[in-house]
Amino acid sequence: MLKASFINPFITAASDVLESECKTDASRGQMHMDSTRATSSEVTAIVGVTGDLQGIVLYGMSERTAKAVAAAMSDMQVPFFDTMAESAIAELGNMITGLATTGLESEGYQCQLTPPTMVTGRGVIISTIDIEHLVIPMKTKLGSVDINVALRQTNV
Amino acid sequence: MRILVVDDAAFVRARVSRLLSAEGHTVEEADNGATAVAKYPEFRPDVVLMDITMPVMNGIAAVRELMKIDSEANVIMCTALGQRAMVLEAIKAGAKDFIVKPFKNDRVIAAIDKLGKENG
Repeated sequence: MLKASFINPFITAASDVLESECKTDASRGQMHMDSTRATSSEVTAIVGVTGDLQGIVLYGMSERTAKAVAAAMSDMQVPFFDTMAESAIAELGNMITGLATTGLESEGYQCQLTPPTMVTGRGVIISTIDIEHLVIPMKTKLGSVDINVALRQTNV
Repeated sequence: MRILVVDDAAFVRARVSRLLSAEGHTVEEADNGATAVAKYPEFRPDVVLMDITMPVMNGIAAVRELMKIDSEANVIMCTALGQRAMVLEAIKAGAKDFIVKPFKNDRVIAAIDKLGKENG
């Protein structure tokens, strides 16, 4: 069962990182639950979480948004979604999840990250999403970054 | 100064290298700890910026190896938040400072300048 205390740190962290790294305000769209195991975005960064909470967090976006985010993060033109842009999106996921873990820590959950993995293309099955997850759309001027939080509490 | 930037993320290496080159430093890159250890004796950096979570050899193991080569090596750990225990382990292994991602450019430059001043 996803609790608000799991979710709020990701909303705060995403807003902070998108503002500092991409120089854009971010506002939360309508959240919804999802139980599909396939990626629904063209570009997805996946970060694993271990510790008191276990699971994965996905950061999905269109390729167009991914290029815009990578360009904003690097202060360079990104005409193609190449390995450098891929690396930037992976780092975005790493930074948001890292920052969120400090919020989780203040809620009493000690968590660690695993290195980000990138998936390109819709419909790719993520076998480790075996729990219902919450989708948090973060709306920015660069496009929407959809955060899928699939975490469960361990030892309960 | 001569600075070795160690990170498996190409984006991070490129961004930090660009920043430090613009500040007048000579920069070399490595994509994991093992590559950094291999490059260290020849490049002889004044400062090493070291990521923690990397394939092949992580940042903590790399710090231990660098200390065997040069016990005075100036290593600054670069870490995502949520890696506090690993940062402490790296400091115990010999790292002198740490920087938290998301990087602030002035924080990166200040950490390097501080180590540079401490070492004359």
